Amino acid sequence: MNQLSQHTIDRDRRYPDRRYSTTGASSDRARTDANRHNNGHRHKKKFSLVSIGKGLDVPFCMLIVLLLAIGITMMFSASYPVAFYEIGDSYYYLKRQLLFALVGLAIMLAVSYFDYHHFHRFSAFILGVSYFALVVVLLIPSETGIHRWIGIGDYGIQASEISKFAIILFLAHWGSRYYDKMHTLKYGVLPGAAVFVSTAILLLLEPHYSCIVIVALLTVIMLFVSGIRLRYLAIAGVMLAGAILLLWATGLLTYAMDRMDGWGKALEYIDETQWQQTWQTRNSLYAIGSGGLFGLGLGQSRQKYLYLPEPQNDFVFAIVCEELGLIGAVAILLIFALLVWRGVVISLRAKDRFGKLLGIGLISQIGLQVILNILVITDWLPNTGISLPFFSYGGSSLLMLLFQMGIILSISRSANIEKI
Amino acid sequence: MSSKQKGANQRLRQRTVWLLIIILAFGFGAVISRLAYLQLIAGEDLQQKAVSQQLSDTTISAKRGTIYDRNGKILAQSASVWQVVLSPANFKTDEQRDFVATRLSEILNLEKEDVLKKTKQDSYYTVVKRKIESEEQKQILELMNEVEDKYKLSSVIALLDDYKRYYPYSELASSVIGFTGSDDQGLSGVEYQYDEYLTGTPGRLVTATNANGTIMPFDYSQNVDAVDGNSVVLTIDETIQSIVEKYMKKAIEDYNVYNRGVCIAMDVRNGEVLAMATVEGYDPNDPFTISREEQKKIKEIDKDYLLENGYLTEEDNPTQEEYDKLLATAKSEAESAALTKMWRNKAISDTYYPGSVFKMITLSMALEEGTINQDTRFNCSGAFQLYDKSIGCHYSAGHGSQTYAEALCNSCNPAFIQIGQSVGEEKFWQYYQSFGFSEKTGIDLPGESDDLFFTEDGSMGPVDLAVASFGQNFSITPIQMITAASAIANGGDLVQPHVVKQILDIDGSVVQNISTDTKRQVISDEVAKEMRGILEQNAIDGTGKNGYVAGYRIAGKTGTTEKLNDSNGDGVQDYIASYCGFAPADDPEIAMLVFFDTPLSGNYYGSAVAAPVFASIMGEVLPYLELDAQYTEEEAVNVDTTAGTYTGLSVNEASKIANTDGFNVTIKGEGTTVMAQVPAAGSKIPTGGTVVLYTDDNSVTEKVTVPSLIGFSVADVNYVASQYGLNVSLAGMVSSSDCTSISQDIAEGTTVSPGTVITVTFSSSGVND
Repeated sequence: MNQLSQHTIDRDRRYPDRRYSTTGASSDRARTDANRHNNGHRHKKKFSLVSIGKGLDVPFCMLIVLLLAIGITMMFSASYPVAFYEIGDSYYYLKRQLLFALVGLAIMLAVSYFDYHHFHRFSAFILGVSYFALVVVLLIPSETGIHRWIGIGDYGIQASEISKFAIILFLAHWGSRYYDKMHTLKYGVLPGAAVFVSTAILLLLEPHYSCIVIVALLTVIMLFVSGIRLRYLAIAGVMLAGAILLLWATGLLTYAMDRMDGWGKALEYIDETQWQQTWQTRNSLYAIGSGGLFGLGLGQSRQKYLYLPEPQNDFVFAIVCEELGLIGAVAILLIFALLVWRGVVISLRAKDRFGKLLGIGLISQIGLQVILNILVITDWLPNTGISLPFFSYGGSSLLMLLFQMGIILSISRSANIEKI
Repeated sequence: MSSKQKGANQRLRQRTVWLLIIILAFGFGAVISRLAYLQLIAGEDLQQKAVSQQLSDTTISAKRGTIYDRNGKILAQSASVWQVVLSPANFKTDEQRDFVATRLSEILNLEKEDVLKKTKQDSYYTVVKRKIESEEQKQILELMNEVEDKYKLSSVIALLDDYKRYYPYSELASSVIGFTGSDDQGLSGVEYQYDEYLTGTPGRLVTATNANGTIMPFDYSQNVDAVDGNSVVLTIDETIQSIVEKYMKKAIEDYNVYNRGVCIAMDVRNGEVLAMATVEGYDPNDPFTISREEQKKIKEIDKDYLLENGYLTEEDNPTQEEYDKLLATAKSEAESAALTKMWRNKAISDTYYPGSVFKMITLSMALEEGTINQDTRFNCSGAFQLYDKSIGCHYSAGHGSQTYAEALCNSCNPAFIQIGQSVGEEKFWQYYQSFGFSEKTGIDLPGESDDLFFTEDGSMGPVDLAVASFGQNFSITPIQMITAASAIANGGDLVQPHVVKQILDIDGSVVQNISTDTKRQVISDEVAKEMRGILEQNAIDGTGKNGYVAGYRIAGKTGTTEKLNDSNGDGVQDYIASYCGFAPADDPEIAMLVFFDTPLSGNYYGSAVAAPVFASIMGEVLPYLELDAQYTEEEAVNVDTTAGTYTGLSVNEASKIANTDGFNVTIKGEGTTVMAQVPAAGSKIPTGGTVVLYTDDNSVTEKVTVPSLIGFSVADVNYVASQYGLNVSLAGMVSSSDCTSISQDIAEGTTVSPGTVITVTFSSSGVND
């Protein structure tokens, strides 16, 4: 055991008596776990609703605000031509995004005061909500045949946003509760696999393949850090390959295949259909390529003038690359990397296993979405709708994102990290 | 803390570190390297593709250059007009499409259905109508505002610059000037030949546009100005061309010419074509409309026509549908044939047997080669026996014994067969070549034809030589004939004929002068001089005398060509009547060839049909060229004098001045002051003619009816006219004793004021060649 983990364990032993006992929130992880282990049942713990802890992690918070500021600026820059041409108001997307950002930041702060341990209790409930949303969304009539949104008019939420959170939360809950049985198939693999498979089937019906990919990766990450045996991951990998083959054979991949037709060939003209399908990806590549090393300058994108459809959504980073160049793009990716790193540090220093797993899950989701989004806009992955956190336009997903960041901040309050 | 717990936490930490490494190193690493590849390595290529879709490259059309006549009169000019363009993809509803289509079809006079179809295309650029003028343009601008107000559509209709070609003189010199197509490209004549000079360089307007094609709101445009086309100055003189066409048109009508007529006037010293007319021509402002007559013919195409022209055979039994299709094919083919014929510049594209006009060439050969001399006599018995073939002379009684000069003036075929024989086949072919008949003249006009000689290598049999001596059975173009005649006129130099004198840039500075190109000397100055003398004599009292113009030294030769076919199907062989001459005979400046293809009025002789036209034209052109007339005593009587201004003067004073001017005076009315005069001040009246002076209102209304003045001698015409109180201006051949009046410029039965001048043309009826 290295010095750092020694330190953690020392702290774990100290805290409940000194600090949390005074606030009535005994959360001595070592003791609860020991009790549960010894007695075979779990004591109900009382946590206070609000926990200030040692204060939130300012660097993580500042990185979020920084990314949000850059993200909204770039989203505005990318969106004002389409907003002007298609809606008649250049500030249409900016105004909405700003409003959601302010509400979101408020939610984030509020959540950061909310003791994340309460989510232990909600994990099953939220998973239930996720399933409910995934079923309801299928029942809502859709013009396009794609069922993703729950809500009225412009205001809604993608059911999958709830699912992602629900799976992270559930697996964090499960992984912390049965940490000592995670190496077994029954406790370590089967519950996670069951949750994933059931969710994936519902997502298949939407269909929302990119979300399945994210959910799959999140499940694997959560199970991996929870300590399951690596051989099960290898088996899962083989099964996944088999499943894809099966789907391929049964034709359930039609929609995805349709989207994947032009995958990786956006610059080649094969036929008119493919050319039209890859329009967005091709113009994304044009935009990225036009940026070069230094970019055309903030606001100077040309591709956003109706060449790149919906530049405010998934493809906002293509406009970022065009305007700010490789230097700007790498700088933004470095900020994302810092955020992920800081999120991982916070998670690792969380005072209990639930916090660690929950934090790692949530921050991994950010990292995954950044990577997958950019691979999509650069034509290395099929164009299937993965938004870029903090950048892509979308009220509900921004609220959800900041809500999740609030949870990490909440974890940071009780984590053993230096406060500025 | 249990060891299990420690182990679990340690594993979590280790695995999280691995996860972090995977995400940051592999995930972000892959992402950054992908971006670096796209932005740095593939960047240039991608950027180029992006730019090529972002930039809209609009061609700015250059204004086509002007075509001037030699004196700077505008013959063809481009003016700014507009074209109406739609961006149908910008329409949002069918109601908008319907509204715009309705209004556009109203304004532009188009079928609504056609416009509606265009509004439904999925494109950003479709031309609705080209070359609209300012009135329509204003209405379109109003419509654009209306559409913008009503539907908030600003980028649906656009007006782009366009140019339209105008030909102010319509038909004048149409076969030379040519015309342009819908894209402003020259399609015929000088417009085609000098297209690259006239076209100019189109400019480009490169602007950044959004995907809808409208300009992006930032400054990103590059403008390369269009360079307007150069202008072309022709050697054609509008005045001479007008004179030529006026007389040609009249003659075509008078002689009922079936296959149009040609007149070329050329400066013999440098090959500049002063006038070149193919009559009837066409209006280059509307070059795709065929004449009413032709339209009628096409309309009348029926089953018989299909059978006659091989569209259908008697055995065929077509369905109605097939028949209609055949009919449509025949009609469209007939129409394009009519168009081609109409546009054809007969002066350079059609070949003909030069006939007797060629005798001037045959004689030049013989004189140059010295195969004959003053003492050589040529006998004509009315026909020439060559082996078993008898070749007749137009004067069947026979010209008897003649010198070569007499032979030419008689236009005697048997004599010229002998002259041709003296030259021989080989020399004949040599001179044929050196006179430029075996090659194109190289005139700067499209569509020049080659000649057609008996054989490619010039070899020919004795009969060929015999008929060739008087211009039969080989074909040349009119431009070749006049170029060769010009060589005789200018002292033996074969010059290159051309219709363009200069090329000017937009500021009017000379870019290029087209200089005279003398190809070679074909006969010596002496022979040329002698030929001029003989041809002048011919125009005075030989077969060419109908081409004589009083006061001028004219040299000329008639020609009547047997065409050996019957194009109009009247059962009579076709003839070409031609006259080729030059003036002044002692120091020639202008040569002119007049020819009429298939006159059907009965008289087809060059002397009767072409020569008087030549004389009429020369009679106006020579004074215009400021050549001084020198009249013989006899002619002086008939010379016209300019009437002075007599109005406003007292009757006595006016009479006195008019008398001094050389006119007789007739006074009409009771007043004391001259209120009006006929002929008007400045008009030409024959010396000794009558000026009528009107002194009150009543007298002005007095009119006389023009009588027929055709078929009389000069004296009779003068007498009849004086009886009616009319003046007569004599034209054509009047010095010969056997001349009769053949036409009058104001038709019989017309009501005119007393004193009006009627021009009466005379012709010698004693010559048939």
